[in-house]
Amino acid sequence: MEISFIAIPLASAFVVAMIANLDERIQDCIACLAALATLTLSLFAITVLSGAGSSGAIVYKVGGWVPPFGVSIVIDGLAAFMLVTVNLIALAALFYSTGYMKKYTDKWKFYALFLLLLAGINGVLVSGDVFNLYIFMEIAAIAAYALVAFGTTAEELEASFKYAVMGTVASCFIFLGIAFLYGYSSTLNMADMASVLASKGPSGALLLASVLFLMGFGLKAALAPFHAWLAYAHSSAPAPVSAMLSGVVIKVLGMYAIARIFFNVFGITPVISFMILTLAVLSMIVGSMLAFVQSDIKRMLAYSTVSQIGYVALGLGVGTPLAIFGALFHLFNHSLFKSLLFLNSGSIERVAGTRDMGKIAGILDKAPLTAYTGLVGALSICGVPPLGGFWSKFIIILACIQAGRPILALTAVVVSILTLAYYFKSYTPVLFGNVTTSKQIKAKSLFTMNAPMVALTVLVALAAFILIPVVGNVFMDGAVASLVRGISYTDVVFEALK
Amino acid sequence: MNNIDPLLMLIVVPIAAGFLCLGITDRLRAVPKVVAFAITLASFAASLFVFMHKPSLSQYGSSVILLADNLSAFIALAVTFFALLITVYSFSYIDKSFGRYFGYLLMTLGSSIGVLFANDLVIMLVFWGMLAALLYLMVAMDGTPKAAAAAKKAIIIIGGTDAIMIFGIGIIWALTGTFAMDKVHLQLAGAFSYAAYFSLVIASFAKAGAMPFHSWLPDVAEDGPASVTAYLPASVDKLLGIYLLARISLDLFVANHITNAVLIIVGAVTIVLAVVIALIQHDLKRLLGYHAVSQVGYMVLGIGTGNPTGIAGGLFHMLNHAIYKSCLFLSAGSVEKKALTQDLDNLGGLAKYMPITFISFLVASLSISGIPPFNGFVSKWMIYQGIIESSASKDYLWVVWLVAAMFGSALTIASFMKLLHAVFLGRPSENLKNVREASFSMILPICVLAAACFIFGILAFKIALPLFIMPATALSPSYLGTWNPTLATSIMAVGVLIGLLVYAVMAPKRLRTVESFIGGEDARALPRISGADFYNTIKEIPLLKGIYAREEKGAMDVYNLGRKPVYALADFLKFLHNGVLPTYLVWCLLGMVGMFLFLFLR
Repeated sequence: MEISFIAIPLASAFVVAMIANLDERIQDCIACLAALATLTLSLFAITVLSGAGSSGAIVYKVGGWVPPFGVSIVIDGLAAFMLVTVNLIALAALFYSTGYMKKYTDKWKFYALFLLLLAGINGVLVSGDVFNLYIFMEIAAIAAYALVAFGTTAEELEASFKYAVMGTVASCFIFLGIAFLYGYSSTLNMADMASVLASKGPSGALLLASVLFLMGFGLKAALAPFHAWLAYAHSSAPAPVSAMLSGVVIKVLGMYAIARIFFNVFGITPVISFMILTLAVLSMIVGSMLAFVQSDIKRMLAYSTVSQIGYVALGLGVGTPLAIFGALFHLFNHSLFKSLLFLNSGSIERVAGTRDMGKIAGILDKAPLTAYTGLVGALSICGVPPLGGFWSKFIIILACIQAGRPILALTAVVVSILTLAYYFKSYTPVLFGNVTTSKQIKAKSLFTMNAPMVALTVLVALAAFILIPVVGNVFMDGAVASLVRGISYTDVVFEALK
Repeated sequence: MNNIDPLLMLIVVPIAAGFLCLGITDRLRAVPKVVAFAITLASFAASLFVFMHKPSLSQYGSSVILLADNLSAFIALAVTFFALLITVYSFSYIDKSFGRYFGYLLMTLGSSIGVLFANDLVIMLVFWGMLAALLYLMVAMDGTPKAAAAAKKAIIIIGGTDAIMIFGIGIIWALTGTFAMDKVHLQLAGAFSYAAYFSLVIASFAKAGAMPFHSWLPDVAEDGPASVTAYLPASVDKLLGIYLLARISLDLFVANHITNAVLIIVGAVTIVLAVVIALIQHDLKRLLGYHAVSQVGYMVLGIGTGNPTGIAGGLFHMLNHAIYKSCLFLSAGSVEKKALTQDLDNLGGLAKYMPITFISFLVASLSISGIPPFNGFVSKWMIYQGIIESSASKDYLWVVWLVAAMFGSALTIASFMKLLHAVFLGRPSENLKNVREASFSMILPICVLAAACFIFGILAFKIALPLFIMPATALSPSYLGTWNPTLATSIMAVGVLIGLLVYAVMAPKRLRTVESFIGGEDARALPRISGADFYNTIKEIPLLKGIYAREEKGAMDVYNLGRKPVYALADFLKFLHNGVLPTYLVWCLLGMVGMFLFLFLR
């Protein structure tokens, strides 16, 4: 089961490429079924992990080699939680693509690349050693570069180029960091590395690797000041790809990797926390400020992602169990509503023929479903109760106060006000208002596009149910426990091996 | 829970019904109307039941989730009362999107009750936040760009202060370890408790429309539908904002002289500044909007006095204000609907065509101006008493506050003189000749509210105060002066009668009517005198000139004040993002170098 998170999308990518000449609908089916299969598997994994008698992790020895000698696949609570999020969004985005991607030629190339991306991020999540994590990260990144350029207009190619150059710089530094770590600890398996590092104590090499990782993964997570590529990449890609990139890719390649390495391998220290918090506050402020002055819907959403990922980093940086819960909950919520908003922007673009918010109005009259789902997404990201975004922000603010950091709480409050202001300044007028002649409305929206939007809207509206213990125990507690236990990660993994 | 829980039902049923109404198209317009009427009527009956059987509570496990005490049950009764009247009024006032309108109205009702009965700060916060979104949706429904702009401003200010409220609630939780409101009774000591108190005060100010968080209110009043303005900013938002202020000042925190001083100053400044600005407005509904701000000042001032008389006066004024202000807004809505304009320059002489609306408007105007025997007088009088009483507690500036409150009241009369003249008296302009009284469903709520102004005035000490206000404060006020409204009203009535008698006896019996000589010109072509410019001269008074200039520039508006630094920083950052890849790479390297330096040099 464990390997199929990578194998299913990878195999489907090849199959889609091989049947490129067959009917499009077969390709649609294969792509959606692949995502459905991995989603089902991830739901299965999370129930197994939360079940009684679980050791807290599922470990698979590839080729039967025992770590640290062989490659291992580790699914603990955090990985399982992320897998559910990733595959849920992937399924929604793929289903949406079946209709949306008709405007491009060579749909099979899109599916092949998309499934490759999915294989890559699933691979990052289940990797038990840091080198495989890097390999899968590169697979996902290269697929993402290609997907951003999918439309092959000048704007998209430029965006892809910027993304590729900056992403590669980040990868280089990450690779350098891994090299330092390997030289120092003589192992690549994360569980093993955690115990080696704990026995060797702090050193300069570790600090060097910390900075390299923070920069590299920080860039992948679009934390300021490493965020500049995101506005180009996320706004130029086709809508479902933007949804995937903004919704999950930056979180897996960036935040998940930071959390895994700093919490579970290095062990979080106040110095690292301080640096994460600094990056978080910078991102929150810079992202929301820049979102104020955008006129392109997707560009505004992209900058808003920078600011929201700052909330996740803020929660991780504060580091108390409540803050970690808030951060992961916000990560989940943000995946839902940001991919909803990006899918929505695709529908708006299709209906209105432009992405310039100054030129669109009255979506409500022409495409009520698009308008209402967009409104719910916007209200959620603004933190309007009772939607998901409210609860996660609320918990993060509570956690900051509880941890005795009122200044951080105030920052979160101020950025929340800014978020509300820029969404209501530029985004919601697109939905309401009267259509004037200069603000033309063109086409109707499609069922295949509406269905995933409605599904995501329902999830956004019901996200608060995660706070109910019955649901939360299954879904969140394992993930929070994975981070709270810190470097005893190694014990859990070796326990699961027995 | 074996039997039906009325508190829970009062919250859930309107929200669920409202949600279902959203999807109903205009072809089935009768459905949302009937549903809204039935639900608001039932809610009114249910809240009356709750009011009779208080305190009632819903307990789940060991914690009390919902709690109706004297204060919240009384306000819930008022909220459902206004919801019912507004629903009736909206039958013919609203002419499109019935499903959405009545849906939002019902959801607002349920959420408001939720705020009132919540005994858990988080639950209260949830409903409080929902109200902001619903206000946005109701105001923006109109679809005009101006309404959208007003709605945007409203949600940014109110929603923004909701975020501040989260901060305050977080601190309360950190200090006391509980969200249960009946268990929180914080002493104000130390920066954290003050931060928590003032975070909640800011939220209540924004909702009620006290300065400096008021600026959304005149905009919404001007451009939103009149029924929405009468429902939310004029009545329900006021009730909830002052409810929160009273709740935190009386129950959650132990108010001290510092917090009271802040409330008194904000109250006094709000009263005077808002009414001064109201004087020169040219738009009927915007003028009323500024008065809605000014009157909040009395409530805040009353609660700020910190003595039973003042607090009772503040709460009573809250109720009275909701009554007369929604009466005024609904009348203004009728005028706007029939005359097709709300610009004072184009209105006039409508008393002849809309007599019932005129009388109701007159009653409400006298009431808001604090003229006996109407209800506004009684509550203002109690607030004055409260201010005088606060002189006992070392508040040496009490004369200033008293003068501010009385001066504000005088200016209110002045501005309503202008309004009454401009809308109802004088010579009507040509295009108003065909204006008729609005339909019955619009007149009825207006008349009910005008009658309430009268009844709550003359029977203040028999009905309103002992039934609603005094139990809510759980304090016994003492009066330095005495006011017997029934006796006073009789004396006034006798006075008016004698005056009429004198007029009948003494008035000249024979009148001769001649046409005035105007050089052969057509008399009707003479310019008519509109009341709109009555107070234009005061714009030139040095001090006031500055105030008006600043107000027009938005200098007293947190919204505008906040915009400048945000845009300055945003433009600077935009300038930095010049699209050149090497620049971005340099930032990355600089960021990394910064981290290295921090780590190795620290």
